[in-house]
Amino acid sequence: MKMLASCLVGVLSVGCATTQSDQGWQRTGDPVVDGKAAIEHGPKRDRVLWEYRAAAAAMRRGQFAEAKPLLDDALVTLGGIYGPDKEARRARGYFSPEAKKTFIGEPYERVMAYYYRGILYWFDGELDNARACFRSAQIMDGDAENKSYASDYVLLDYLDGLATARLGGDGSDASKRAEAEARMTKPPEYDLKANVLFFVEFGNGPLKYATGHYGEELRFRPGYSAVRSVQIKVDGQAARAEPYDDLTFQATTRGGRVKTATDTAGNAAIISGAILAGQQDRHSVADEVGVGLLAAGVITKIFSAATTPAADTRAWDNLPQYLSFASTQLRAGAHTVTVEFLDAGGRPMANLTRTVRINVSDPARDTVVFVSDKNQ
Amino acid sequence: MKMQTLIGPAVISLLVALFTGCASSGIKNPSGIGVTEMRADEKGFVAGTGVESQDLVAVTDKMARSILDTPQIKSAQNPPVIVLDPVVNETRFPINKDMFLTRIRLMLNSKSAGKVQFLARDRMAALEHERDLKRSGQVTSSNDPNVAEFKGADFFLTGKLQSLTTRNSRGISDYVLYSFQLVDARTSAIIWEDGAEIKKQGLEDAAYR
Repeated sequence: MKMLASCLVGVLSVGCATTQSDQGWQRTGDPVVDGKAAIEHGPKRDRVLWEYRAAAAAMRRGQFAEAKPLLDDALVTLGGIYGPDKEARRARGYFSPEAKKTFIGEPYERVMAYYYRGILYWFDGELDNARACFRSAQIMDGDAENKSYASDYVLLDYLDGLATARLGGDGSDASKRAEAEARMTKPPEYDLKANVLFFVEFGNGPLKYATGHYGEELRFRPGYSAVRSVQIKVDGQAARAEPYDDLTFQATTRGGRVKTATDTAGNAAIISGAILAGQQDRHSVADEVGVGLLAAGVITKIFSAATTPAADTRAWDNLPQYLSFASTQLRAGAHTVTVEFLDAGGRPMANLTRTVRINVSDPARDTVVFVSDKNQ
Repeated sequence: MKMQTLIGPAVISLLVALFTGCASSGIKNPSGIGVTEMRADEKGFVAGTGVESQDLVAVTDKMARSILDTPQIKSAQNPPVIVLDPVVNETRFPINKDMFLTRIRLMLNSKSAGKVQFLARDRMAALEHERDLKRSGQVTSSNDPNVAEFKGADFFLTGKLQSLTTRNSRGISDYVLYSFQLVDARTSAIIWEDGAEIKKQGLEDAAYR
């Protein structure tokens, strides 16, 4: 019996084993460089994940030309994910971890990819494409289990309406939606004469972890932020950017997937088999049936050990916690902008105040400033 | 029944299950697929619910044919002069919307045998620079550069892309309405309008929902 068990364990551990290949690239600590190396040399299924991470890092450095193709490529994958997908099918199975599928992220991550691309379109003066991205982002959030949390990003509707109004359309519907969705701060009325737009983000976004006996349940570790709002000072004017969207809230109100494990039947069979075998005399029919059930239970248990229903915890780990926006009107020319990140008491946080030189050169086109507490 | 007689079949069952469990269903194209050349109006094997090349070709072909059937174009004594006015994209898809008008212009210029004439307004900066060089005598000119010869438009060709999206746990559905117009530059009258509608639905694997 012991020998049989050893053989089974041997078969189990050898039969399904795969060789862990080298990742083929060295981490340098530079998120953009590492991201690009991972995209080139890492597993194809993680490509979008690295594109997301590298794009966010590039944006915080002001390397917008670097971020653009990364997001474009990620969005092409995201937009073409429909139809049969072998990796996704395998990821749904018991014998393959969910992380085997091509990563496109949870809805809040997909939303952020469109949101960042929308900002970059606005940079380029393509307001209709920016609006298209904000609309697609809102659609990505449209599949919440509880419909009251579906498509409820304040900033996406607000920016949709602002872009529409700036293009000569009627943005009031989108503006009303944004106001109705506001849970933290109501966004301000549109200032259609504002020619300098500040897209603001701060804090550290949610992360993922797995719970359950087999790590089959996806959970979110809440993000955090000591920064609670941002004050922007320029030419004697001050604009306050309050948080409108909370990514932890968005991640956790959408509902998660749980992969079903096979262990329940195994435990039940072992328990009932043991009871039957223990209650009867030796060599009775019930005893033999009990032993049979016990054997079946052990086999199911071994199968359970071979299953890998672990939830996919790959995460876009450099997202912010809060999203915000502010705008102001400035005359053409060079301006010095001071950005203060304020704590819960409204005090500027040490070492986070930034000074940026902007050039408002073309009145026909908005000057877009991307503000992050992680700006480099 | 002896325990040993139960263990034998159980082990066989286990081994069969193990082998079938680990076996993949067969990898097709293990070395990938080489570059496949396709027609622009063909639906590729990589598809989404957004605006794709086959939509662009179908829509612009239809619009070009429709424009040529317009009485003001068909029976014009002299080729009407058209200027492209950028298409408005109101869909949820970020696209290079200029491609629609570019392809309509391309089709009309290449297939209509001079029935319409387009102005290169997007090249005005270079054209004005050249004219100024001629006027200042820095370059030669075959005619009097001081005479204004840049043409004005008879019509503006423009369009709008709008979309409706439905999304639920079963997938996503996108309807796109493509509408194009020829607007009389003198009277602002819309002398021609046509459109096309395309609806696509996609279902993601449950692993992504």
